[in-house]
Amino acid sequence: MEIRPILSALMRNRAGAILVALQIAITLAIVVNAVYVTQQRLVHIGRPSGMDDQNIFSFWVNTYEKDYDYLGMVNADMALLRQMPGVIDATPMSQMPLSGSGSSTQFYTQPDKKGEKSPANYYLTDDHAVQSLGVKLSAGKTFNASDVEYKPTQEQSWAPVAIISTGLAKALFKDEPALGKTFYDDIGNPIRVVGVIEHMQGSWVGWDKVDRVMLTPRLNPGGSTMYAIRTRPGEIDRVMADVEVALRKRDPNRVIATPIKKMSDMKLQSYAGDSLMAVTLSTVTGLVLVFSALGIFGLATFNVNTRTRQIGTRRAVGARKRDIVRYFMTENWLITSIGVLVGCCLALGAGFWLSTQYQLPRLDLYYLIGGVLGLWVVGQLAAWQPSRKAAKVSPAMATRTV
Amino acid sequence: MFSYYLRLALASFRRNPGLTALMIFAIALGIAVCMVTLTSYRAAAHNPAGERGAVLFAPSVDSWDPENSYDKDNKSLAPDLLTYRDAKALYASDIPDRKLITYRTGDIYTRPDKGMDPHYIPTRMTSRDFFGMFDVPFLYGGPWDGKADEGPEPVIVLSKEENKKAFGGENSVGKTLNWKGREFRIVGVLDAWEPMPKFFDVSNGAFHEMEGAYVPFAWGPILELGSHGNTNCWKTETINNFQDFLNSECIWFAAWVELRTSEKQRAYKAYMDNYVLDQKKHGRFPRPLNNYLYDVDGWLKRNKVVEDDNKAMLTLAFAFLAVCLVNTVGLLLAKFLNAAPIAGVRRALGASRRDIFWQHLTESGVVALAGGVVGGILGVLGIWALRAWYGRFVDEAARVLPFDGKNFLIVIAIAVTAGLLAGLYPAWRIGRAAPASYLKVQ
Repeated sequence: MEIRPILSALMRNRAGAILVALQIAITLAIVVNAVYVTQQRLVHIGRPSGMDDQNIFSFWVNTYEKDYDYLGMVNADMALLRQMPGVIDATPMSQMPLSGSGSSTQFYTQPDKKGEKSPANYYLTDDHAVQSLGVKLSAGKTFNASDVEYKPTQEQSWAPVAIISTGLAKALFKDEPALGKTFYDDIGNPIRVVGVIEHMQGSWVGWDKVDRVMLTPRLNPGGSTMYAIRTRPGEIDRVMADVEVALRKRDPNRVIATPIKKMSDMKLQSYAGDSLMAVTLSTVTGLVLVFSALGIFGLATFNVNTRTRQIGTRRAVGARKRDIVRYFMTENWLITSIGVLVGCCLALGAGFWLSTQYQLPRLDLYYLIGGVLGLWVVGQLAAWQPSRKAAKVSPAMATRTV
Repeated sequence: MFSYYLRLALASFRRNPGLTALMIFAIALGIAVCMVTLTSYRAAAHNPAGERGAVLFAPSVDSWDPENSYDKDNKSLAPDLLTYRDAKALYASDIPDRKLITYRTGDIYTRPDKGMDPHYIPTRMTSRDFFGMFDVPFLYGGPWDGKADEGPEPVIVLSKEENKKAFGGENSVGKTLNWKGREFRIVGVLDAWEPMPKFFDVSNGAFHEMEGAYVPFAWGPILELGSHGNTNCWKTETINNFQDFLNSECIWFAAWVELRTSEKQRAYKAYMDNYVLDQKKHGRFPRPLNNYLYDVDGWLKRNKVVEDDNKAMLTLAFAFLAVCLVNTVGLLLAKFLNAAPIAGVRRALGASRRDIFWQHLTESGVVALAGGVVGGILGVLGIWALRAWYGRFVDEAARVLPFDGKNFLIVIAIAVTAGLLAGLYPAWRIGRAAPASYLKVQ
């Protein structure tokens, strides 16, 4: 290969080459780290919730009149909701999964805070919860209607039975089947597992224990509750409008809190920070790649234009078109390689700095390798057209003055 | 001379309109990305209390679990909220110039004459000094007086929006609203007030919506109003009623004190320490003494209102701007060298190297200014698009990405500085070129 003459030609116009190499170096550092972080956010966002989250909506129902029959209201509302067209099922809930607002407490496998322990996100609901959330049971069954209780007082207690997620079951009982087992709260109230949910996320998507969930068959105290309603696919918008009207008509003397929220929107909201990060990073990645390609293209064009006489001379003394193309492609490959080499150091440095400074995970080396290969390809593609143009220079150029 | 250089620059742009547009576009894109990330960063890094932030303090005492620190990532931190008992005790001190305790609750309000749809109003339980300490503007009336805190008297202050909903925006002072089965008399209506980040209650979200009503704190225990925000507990306690809950180690209250002199600040810190040491004698505060008194700025930092993501995005945006600038340096170099014969003629006619340098630097500056303006406009469009997208499901979208004219000026300043830096080398290079060689070929 004719590396030496290429190098000496490069040395004569260092500035341009150095600029492009520098640009490639920074590009590599940005692209590798941005793609890595984006990838992680997308994996985080893409985790399944375990629920039919696209077809569920929910809202608060508040009572405010003294001596209002809260229990009667919930029963009458549920009876009305469950027979409405387009509704698969409905259930009262103390809070909503994926909403960012929830409650959690610690549970133990033995009384007196002994044995294995785990926190769990818990929801007060009824015997229609499994169907209304669209979760799958991997063992046991849903609650009986007779399991559902109502305690208006504040004292700490739990319904004697519960449905728990596999995440919580694994944390408490390891690999043993959880069905039928008993666990305890911190003051020793026993709770028996009657069902295990295959997978379900709780309220806080940023929590590393988001998959530890417990459903307990009891109505929310305090005269206020949420209703969660699952609709047939594609009917959620219509059902949302119908439900609001129907509930207001059934009893105007309580508050149906608007806006009624879709679970899919709560999910988007919970992941808003992550998706903003993913959008920003991938936009920057795209732009920076385009800019690097432009830079390479510009330099190659510039070099070809300033060297028409040199190219003509080479063609006149016998170089084939192929050789000219190869010359410019190699030149560009060299510049890209220098940029990539510097870029590797920059990328690793930036990755390390990001991981220490912002508690992001350390850069995965596969991304660096991918970035290097990618930039080589981009560099060669960007240099292709100017090189072809160089090959078209006629040998007669050697004899012309300008 | 400068205006002559400007004319030369314009002539140069007309010679290569495509290349010029490309340079402006390169800078503009880099600036636009910076503008968007800078907007979200500056919104979070803003100190809404301004200079008063240096005399307003949030006490933080470590009442947490002996076995686990409150914050797993930063074990030295004390909790960001207080228990009821500690909040009351810290409020009891006479040292502060002004003081308040507060928490967020809410419920359904109705109008006695049924002139309003019953609806939920997020409500802040607090004390009179809240309004003075935080410079809260009033549209009608004013804060309740000091003795309303103690009684407590059934008084209420409404936000501007809530007054619009309840009374169509008219002066409602003296009218009443029903809440929790009692009649509350309106003593004041706030003007528009939305300090962001919401520094006095960051634990419930630094960009969380403002409350619609403010009620004397002492009603909380009387009406048994639980927190409609974060509540954290660590201890195994039998909680059978609201009084048990108030006496528990659960944290959901915030206190703020105004301490105008450093003596008072020291005295209050000593007061906090003495209080905790005294409580230790009664078997509370099992962790080592670990108290903090944060001013507003310190409090925002302690709560990481500027998130790591904000910083990471800003860093990447500036790295991207760097790529755009390197690109611009290359384009400027190519453009200047292309026009080297013209500079050669000017040199031959008597222009000094310095003249050529300044002429070309002026040209770079004009390109950068144009890039900055276009970039700023693109940035505003970007913010607008992001807000439209996020506004569909995130209430905070507009508060996290505010339109702020200052950001526009900042990015233009960045663009011009960066453009001049980018122009330094190409301008120097062209100034150094010997005129003779260019004249000969011509």
